[in-house]
Amino acid sequence: MDPALESPQFIERLRQGDQAAFGQVVKVHHNMLLATARTLLSAADAEEAVQDAWIAAHRAIAKFEGRSLLRTWLTRIVINQARMMLRKGGREIQFNLIDERAPLDHRFRDDGHWDHPPQHWDLNGPDALLTRDELRHCMEKTLGKMPDNQRLVLELRDLQGMDFDGICNMLDVSASNVRVLLHRARARLFELVDHFQETGEC
Amino acid sequence: MLKCKDVVTKADALVDGTPLTLSERIALRIHLLMCHQCRRYVRQLRALLSTLPRETDRLDDAQTRGILEKLDTSRDP
Repeated sequence: MDPALESPQFIERLRQGDQAAFGQVVKVHHNMLLATARTLLSAADAEEAVQDAWIAAHRAIAKFEGRSLLRTWLTRIVINQARMMLRKGGREIQFNLIDERAPLDHRFRDDGHWDHPPQHWDLNGPDALLTRDELRHCMEKTLGKMPDNQRLVLELRDLQGMDFDGICNMLDVSASNVRVLLHRARARLFELVDHFQETGEC
Repeated sequence: MLKCKDVVTKADALVDGTPLTLSERIALRIHLLMCHQCRRYVRQLRALLSTLPRETDRLDDAQTRGILEKLDTSRDP
């Protein structure tokens, strides 16, 4: 996050319609907003949603009151645009929890202890597991296949570092649901890396 | 006594720094002291989350101009 773009002085310039300041915001935030939109939409639709979000933000910026971070405000606009586009295609993102078995559940015995404990991951050295290209590739695939509600929450929390309250407010979802979705998303990734460590495959 | 399965659920709060109650904290700490498999889980989860790809690239000036130009043409009459 760029603190200069969240300062009261900078926000005031934006509210006054300072175009250079707005350009600065576009420059810094665009790719991040695109990544958020991509969790819900195809690449082409995401581009369109973010462009529309900039238009909406540009129109509304004088009314931005600074009650949330600018970044949060922009992300909310993007998510609303993305949801609108989904609706046009007859789709909707759901945040109520479907009864899904937690991704790591099968690795525990009935008494709650590990049956199939985590592998030891090689975290250091030049060939450290998490830096290997094949694994990065597998991760991309897993991220692409993840249910969009889990993927979105993971994006906002773990890839963009937003705080929980901000995410709950933005999505209008309870904290407990956000936590469950995040847990499922993380557990999927953990499972993937662990499987890769064990087998060398995705 | 906390089970490994519960630790895996609570590990998210632990790596997020979400406040836990005192009794939760104590139970977790005791479990982690005794269980190397759960210690491994928490350590590796932390490592995994810290290496997720983050989008931090900025647009270049030409790309930024492209977006700003479309704002002008879409302005209300």
